[in-house]
Amino acid sequence: MPTMTVSGHRYQLDRQVVEGALEGVLPEPIQEHFVVINGRRWPPKQVLGLVTGLDRADFTTHQARRALTRLGFSAARATNSREQHTPAAGRITSSGSASGGTDSRSRPLVEALRPFIGLWVAVRGDEVLVAAPSPKDVVAWLAQHGQHAQSMFRVPESEQAIAGAAPQ
Amino acid sequence: MKFPFRALPAAGGGELTPRPVVDIALEGLPAAPIECLLDTGALRTRMSAELAPLAGIELADTLTEEFFVAGLRTVGTFARVNLTVTDGTEEYSWDAPVWFCDPWPHAFGLAGLEGFLQHFLVTVSAYNGYLEIEPQP
Repeated sequence: MPTMTVSGHRYQLDRQVVEGALEGVLPEPIQEHFVVINGRRWPPKQVLGLVTGLDRADFTTHQARRALTRLGFSAARATNSREQHTPAAGRITSSGSASGGTDSRSRPLVEALRPFIGLWVAVRGDEVLVAAPSPKDVVAWLAQHGQHAQSMFRVPESEQAIAGAAPQ
Repeated sequence: MKFPFRALPAAGGGELTPRPVVDIALEGLPAAPIECLLDTGALRTRMSAELAPLAGIELADTLTEEFFVAGLRTVGTFARVNLTVTDGTEEYSWDAPVWFCDPWPHAFGLAGLEGFLQHFLVTVSAYNGYLEIEPQP
C-alpha cells in the first residue's frame, strides 16, 4: 500500500481505502478542480480531508489532487460550468431550433446521467449537481450548498419506467 | 417558453427516446423543480407523495382517491399548490390542483389536464424535439 505524507503526517492509502471513505457521502459542488472516483466528480480537498481526517486548511487543492492522482484517480479542471450550465443555456432560441434537444448537444447530459441510473438527481444544463438515493437527500444537498437546480428527477432504470409498464 | 425534449441514458447503453418534459417548481421547493412528463391523456397532474413534505405541503385531512397508474394501485392525495415554470428568462406561476401519490412508480411527475394543460396553449413538435407552452389568461 503506497505511503504518502500530507501536511507532515504519513498515511498508507490505496484506491480501496479512498473509495471506502466516500461511501454514503455526497460530493460537494465543484469549484475548479475535481477527481473522478467511482464515476463521480469530487473536490480533491473534500476527498483527502475525508480520507485523512485532516482539516482542509492543512493542505492545498494541488496537494490533494497530486496525492489522489498518485493513487490512479483521474483529475481535471472543470470547464467554465457556471456559464455553460445556467438554466438559460438550455433554452430554445427564438428561431425555434432546440438547443440541447434531441440533437447531439443533448448527449452530454445523457452521458453525465449514466452513472446515476436509479438515483435521484438534480441537474442544471448538462451538469449533474448531485445524485442521491432519495429526493430528500437531493433537496438537503441543494439547501446545504446554496445551489439551485433546473430539474430534479429519478434517472429511470428502463424504458418501461417511462412508458408506464407496471413495476414488478 | 420552449423546452427541448429530454433524453436519458438507457441502462443497457444508448439512450431512451427523448420525451416532452417540463420542470415544475412547487411552492416551497423553488431550488428543485420537478421533472414532469407532459401527459395529454391524463386528467390530473400527479407527483410522488414523498415530494410534498419537502415543499412543506401537508397532506393530512384532505381529499384522496384510489386509482391505477402503470398497472399499480395507488392513492392520490389532493393539494392546491402554487406552481412555477421558467425557461431561465421568462417565468410563470399559477395556482393548481396536484395529486400527490403513494406509491408512485414513475421517475417523474405527470403534467395532465387539470393543473397544467388547462393553463397553457401547448405546442408539441416531436419532429423538432421541443415543447412550447404559452400561458393563457
